[in-house]
Amino acid sequence: MNRRLVPAVAVLALLTGCSDEADPSRPVGDPSPGVLRVLAGSELADLQPVLDEAAKATGVTVKFSYSGTIEGAEKVANGTADQGFDAVWFSSNRYLELVPDAQKRLGTPAKVMSSPVVLGLPAAKVRELGWEGRRVGWAEIAQAAGERKFTYGMTDPSASNSGFSALVGVAAALSGSGSALDAARISAVAPQLKQFFSAQTLSAGSSGWLSEAYARRATEPGAKVDGLINYESVLLSLNATLPEPLTLIYPNDGVVTADYPLTLLTSASSEAREAHRKLSEHLRGADVQRRIMDSTHRRPAVPQVQPDAKFAVKDLVELPFPGSQSAVDGLITTYFDQLRRPSRTLYVLDTSGSMQGDRIDGLRQALAGLTGADSSLAGKFNRFHGREQVTLLPFNSTARPPVKYEVPADDPRPVLDQIRGTATSLDAAGGTAIYSSLRDGYDVLREQINADPDRFTSIVLMTDGENTGNENIDDFERFHSGLPQTLKGIPIFPVLFGESATAEMERVAKISGGKVFDARSRSLSAAFKEIRGYQ
Amino acid sequence: MTKDLFSDKRFQQRWTVKRTLGIGLAVVLLAGVVIAIVLGQGGDEPAGLRTVRGVIGSEKLAFFADQRVKDVFAKHGLKVEVDPAGSRQIATATDLNSYDFAFPSSAPAAEKIQRDRKAARTYAPFSSPMVVATFDPIVDLLTKAGVVRSGPGYQTFDVQAYLDLAAKGTRWDQLPGNTAYPARKNLLVTTTDPRDSNSAAMYLAITSFVANGGVVSSQEAEAKVLPGVSKLFLDQGYTQSSSEGPFEDYLSAGMGKTPLVLAYEAQFVDRVVRGDSTIRPDMKLLYPAPTVLSKHTLVPLREAGDRVGQLLSGDAELGRLAATFGFRTADPRHFNDVVKEKNLTVPQTIVDVVEPPAHETLERMLEAIAKQY
Repeated sequence: MNRRLVPAVAVLALLTGCSDEADPSRPVGDPSPGVLRVLAGSELADLQPVLDEAAKATGVTVKFSYSGTIEGAEKVANGTADQGFDAVWFSSNRYLELVPDAQKRLGTPAKVMSSPVVLGLPAAKVRELGWEGRRVGWAEIAQAAGERKFTYGMTDPSASNSGFSALVGVAAALSGSGSALDAARISAVAPQLKQFFSAQTLSAGSSGWLSEAYARRATEPGAKVDGLINYESVLLSLNATLPEPLTLIYPNDGVVTADYPLTLLTSASSEAREAHRKLSEHLRGADVQRRIMDSTHRRPAVPQVQPDAKFAVKDLVELPFPGSQSAVDGLITTYFDQLRRPSRTLYVLDTSGSMQGDRIDGLRQALAGLTGADSSLAGKFNRFHGREQVTLLPFNSTARPPVKYEVPADDPRPVLDQIRGTATSLDAAGGTAIYSSLRDGYDVLREQINADPDRFTSIVLMTDGENTGNENIDDFERFHSGLPQTLKGIPIFPVLFGESATAEMERVAKISGGKVFDARSRSLSAAFKEIRGYQ
Repeated sequence: MTKDLFSDKRFQQRWTVKRTLGIGLAVVLLAGVVIAIVLGQGGDEPAGLRTVRGVIGSEKLAFFADQRVKDVFAKHGLKVEVDPAGSRQIATATDLNSYDFAFPSSAPAAEKIQRDRKAARTYAPFSSPMVVATFDPIVDLLTKAGVVRSGPGYQTFDVQAYLDLAAKGTRWDQLPGNTAYPARKNLLVTTTDPRDSNSAAMYLAITSFVANGGVVSSQEAEAKVLPGVSKLFLDQGYTQSSSEGPFEDYLSAGMGKTPLVLAYEAQFVDRVVRGDSTIRPDMKLLYPAPTVLSKHTLVPLREAGDRVGQLLSGDAELGRLAATFGFRTADPRHFNDVVKEKNLTVPQTIVDVVEPPAHETLERMLEAIAKQY
């Protein structure tokens, strides 16, 4: 694009930004009477109708700002949550309470509802596996998974609680010791865990997108995924939309359950405390509990309300959860570096002239952040993982030569340093040939997939402007439709940045089964980090 | 005194909010000034009530929030505002400057506060023994395993027999003939986090007494019992920080999640008295043998707090109300009346009660356990 236009556009963006863009430390504004400002997990969005009614009944309005559990724990621990929020509301306080600096900032919790994390499989599959009409344990599930008798999708345990709970649950159950996990117990069951995760063929940064992707793959021809590991509530909601509903498998040796505690922060004002008390009381009232159970398929939190018949198994054994942050962090790291199917990640990166200055700098930082430069809690898990294949494909008027890496599982540091070196030496000049470069990317992947097919493969497409190459989106769509199944099913994650052509990027995401990430109102780093959950 | 108040963060915040609100209204309309003044003075509370602030063990929150309790205090010119916190937290971490009284749930915690704050006296208006709440199928299983015995008019939980099973890392599914609850997890009583909760400290008082064969009062004894008692906590993994959490799980998530939960007797009795059908017929109370009493002890930090202590100890109406929340009152009549009236199956007297160790000993052991997480 024409570089001269940029400053004017930027100034305009800055001006309009001033009026309606929230203070990043206070995304839901300053404290005000009758408003409870809540840092929450995104899955609570489905509670909005209940909260609207609560506002009428109690005069307390909830304002949400969404965050992942680990990212949220970090905000609470370092005190930034105190600045802009009165309460936190995640699917569980377990992780937060394991971080000492976060734990001491948590006040009164009020558990509002609960939902166990379970496995959903089509009835035909359950029959085929011989699991119809009987309860099975995690060991049997892991064995069938290891033999590839079924495949499933699960969220990224570092970004989303359902994946995290599943990881803890299966590790605890397989360890067989019955007591809580520690590092030694985790490494003892690593081979079995690896079997279990070998059948995971779909990953996502959020439970919502995982369900969507699953539903799409169930109806459209493509790489079908048999089942899903998710909250019971999500699976029950999803069943209403699926041509072939899922049978929920409740492992008889136990599950990990989300209990949604609406938790006051100790820094909250007395007005906010009162608001929290009123709201908790309302939400835990018998009628509202029934309403929550009906509309969100989550189980009631108060004993006065009987759980519905739709919850097939009522008395669930709860598996022990690790008692220390180091055990949990160790489990997540092991998952990424050793247990899950390794990733193959291609970055198609715009280094055209319009990227000069802050933008190319932002890109360098965003990539460097994924090599371990980001020392935050979430950043630790977002880095390129052991065994991951990372390819950087910079382009301008044409694609430049791809730079390929494979991160070793044991000593990743030297290779991560090399990736950082390449990233920080990226320069901006020339035109923007998006689609011919993207097409070149498939040549790289074809070669890699032929050599080693069993990986999570995905493409990140980052560009800050309109295509100036000879090939356009229609050409790309034609090319894409002619691809063999192994390449066609690779999701593309376009990142909106600068003056990206939004409609075209949406189309690229749609035809590939990917998802668009917006980096226009936040840093490229933030977007790149979020995408990690899907790779 | 004034300086203390102003250095307190919470006070400053509240003051700022109200002040800002006041200015805002004054700018908008003249009449607003009047409203701002009213708001600034505490809004809709009846005039003339003196606000007394306390930090309390969370088990007493419902009592202080009860309108009848508020009314009694109001009759005596007081409005009592409380913040719940873990009792050990109150003794060690909480900034007590903004409070008129501290009301932890144990004698050792109160001792420490009294010493630190040089309080002249303390009040122990009510107490509650530690119990294990469970379910009929578990009672049957544990009776066969020799852990549950029939005691003098009530069922006991034999702590020594339990410690023997726990030392071997016994899982539920390893109990012979267990078809009622074949869970693949360790046979453990669910407690709260020993790092920040009073009930966990009381549990440590019980188990360390049995492991040592008497109250732990020397460093040698501490070293002797620590490996065994640490396991009771560590093998549970994550535990919640306040006693409300696991007891609520017991009530709503049931046997699958918490087959055995350590609780205050008052938590159970309170639910029965409420008659809200949360206690089902298959839910049973076991009294650990031995057990300890959680002595809810109020430490006055200022004169107004002392008044609250006097009323709780002396006022018959407050005594009766406390008993309806399940507390055993200093005057046993109140509690016994409730037992009779509600036909409760709790013993009038509990025979096998031991004293907790001194605050320092208990703290040292808790810290030693915390380090192993």
